[in-house]
Amino acid sequence: MHKTIRRFLLSALFSAVLVVSAGAEENVQISNLIDSAEDFDGCSVAVEGEAIGEILERGQYSWVNISDGTNAIGIWIKTSDAKTIAYFGDYKHIGDTVRIIGVFSKECREHGGEADIHCISIEIVRRGYTMNENVPYSKAVSSVILLFCAWLAAYICHKKVNSSERTD
Amino acid sequence: MTELKTRYPGIYITSYYIGNIVLGTATLMVIPLLTSLLLKEWNPALDFAISISVSVIVGCMMVILGRRTRKSETPLEWKYGFIIAALSWLVLMCLCSLPYLLSGHSKSLIDGCFDVMSGFTTTGLVLTQDLDHLSAGLNMWRHILTFVGGQGMVVLALSFMSKHTGSAYKLYCGEAKDIKLLPNVKYTARIIWKISMIYLVAGTITLWICGMFIGLSPLSAFFHGLYIFESAWSTGGFAPNSQNMMYYHSFAYEVITIIFFILGSFNFGLHYAVWQGERKELVRNIETRSFALTSILLCALAAVKLTKLGVYSDAVSVFRRVIYNVLSAHTTTGFGNVYARQFANDWGDFGIFVMVIAMLIGGSACSTAGGFKGLRVGIVFKGFNSDIKKVLSPERNIRVTKYHHIKNYVLEDTFVKSSALIIICYIVLFSVNVLIGTFCGYSLADSAFEAASVSGNVGLSIGVTSDNMPPIMKIQYILSMYLGRFEFVSAFALFGNIGGRIGKLCIKR
Repeated sequence: MHKTIRRFLLSALFSAVLVVSAGAEENVQISNLIDSAEDFDGCSVAVEGEAIGEILERGQYSWVNISDGTNAIGIWIKTSDAKTIAYFGDYKHIGDTVRIIGVFSKECREHGGEADIHCISIEIVRRGYTMNENVPYSKAVSSVILLFCAWLAAYICHKKVNSSERTD
Repeated sequence: MTELKTRYPGIYITSYYIGNIVLGTATLMVIPLLTSLLLKEWNPALDFAISISVSVIVGCMMVILGRRTRKSETPLEWKYGFIIAALSWLVLMCLCSLPYLLSGHSKSLIDGCFDVMSGFTTTGLVLTQDLDHLSAGLNMWRHILTFVGGQGMVVLALSFMSKHTGSAYKLYCGEAKDIKLLPNVKYTARIIWKISMIYLVAGTITLWICGMFIGLSPLSAFFHGLYIFESAWSTGGFAPNSQNMMYYHSFAYEVITIIFFILGSFNFGLHYAVWQGERKELVRNIETRSFALTSILLCALAAVKLTKLGVYSDAVSVFRRVIYNVLSAHTTTGFGNVYARQFANDWGDFGIFVMVIAMLIGGSACSTAGGFKGLRVGIVFKGFNSDIKKVLSPERNIRVTKYHHIKNYVLEDTFVKSSALIIICYIVLFSVNVLIGTFCGYSLADSAFEAASVSGNVGLSIGVTSDNMPPIMKIQYILSMYLGRFEFVSAFALFGNIGGRIGKLCIKR
């Protein structure tokens, strides 16, 4: 019984150390990861970026693409973890900023030689949001004026072309 | 004014035809406008309303200026056919970049023009910022540009306009297309569009279904399917996300795109022949033979070398990362599923050199592909082969070499000469691009890769093309994409004409 408790405590301590050390891991820029792929291959890395597009669900696991502004990379992540991401970046949304700790593969054998990260842990650093689309007043007015001008030009063009045909 | 009309009739003729092509393009902008309205993207909708208005105003003014051309009975002169085709692309480049500029995703007019020319010429290089947050309207516009550009803007306009068949044929040839599928060029243009539209429906549905299987939502899968098909068929290489094909993480999606971009790189004449039941054309045609030979050779070389280097270790990786990219380069598509810097860091000089050769050779003539074209490579190779045989055979023997391209042709020296001349033009263009690249501080390998990509209208990048690139390189790349797409003739006719006029003016003064 004592042995079991000791084992349990030891493994809990080990896990805690792992989590703390992983949390302390410095973020790597995705472009640096790709440029120095050889150095990072098979290592645990931390990347932080905006979740973009949408979840690509493949059963128990999913693909989530994240972009940190320097480049974008695919994260192979448990579907349950992926679903903690509420917003994905697109025209109408700023995606959640997530911090991923995972194992980087320069040529992932599981995924046809792709450079990817297999997620160990995910942290939502900042929640994304829906963007309010503000239409500038000047843009709306100028488009109405230009549309009228275009209609006028088309009308004059039609008249001129027809009249030149009739006179000849 | 009357004196001006008699002295410079070309101005009015070109104005009339270009005006009509501009009006046709303004009509095309209605599609992204509707997309934006449907998806409640109000800013992009206004951007397209403004762009349509400006294009209609410019188009109408040009048609009014050249309105007397409409009733003219004399067919268009050859030089005007070439000049109109070449000049219309420059006018359209400026007008079509308006939505990019208004959206704020292009940093400057040059960047906007760069992306439009890249789309029109089916190159696929991108300077647009923040692709992952682009509106559906602007994405639709990018992919329409590349789809229409592949078939030809003039070909599209010809399907609906032109009274004179003779004039139409000259415009059609001006856009580097010379195959006559039917006796009437207007119907040939329509056939080209019919073939493309049938594939568009089939391709979009296939990719839509596949997209839903790989986890995309139904609406998103539809748009991705449509965009990716348009890019694949026109051998364009644009994709709605910054990761290009890496966004999907799907073998199935990649296989489907391979099928469509190879089909897109084939001659429209070949498609038509196969549709007419002449399936043997697929194996007899000099272009398909040339493409098969060079593809197998280049894929094998790259696969063996990269496996030997240990870059890719299993067959699936080799197929997905090596074969896919070599075929994408060879068909001048430009879809990529490795990072740009991976070419530079992992593929090594040999891998880069194989890619450069693949990009320069390109696809078929009268297709949506760029590069030297398989037909020219085949003809020059046959010509070279025939010359060697002539030297080795007795003088009394008269040897006639034939080649098959839709029908049988006797290989004449003029064919070989003209094909070799175009290949030389491409090599000169490639060399100039390498020279400018190295002058601007890029390595020889990087410059050569990007130069081949631009000259062959491919779109794969090794990381040189970016908004930080020197402006001189952006302008040179725009010019190269343009020259490569027109196969030099029309652009030279336009520059020659402008140069001639400036020369005359200088002499008079």
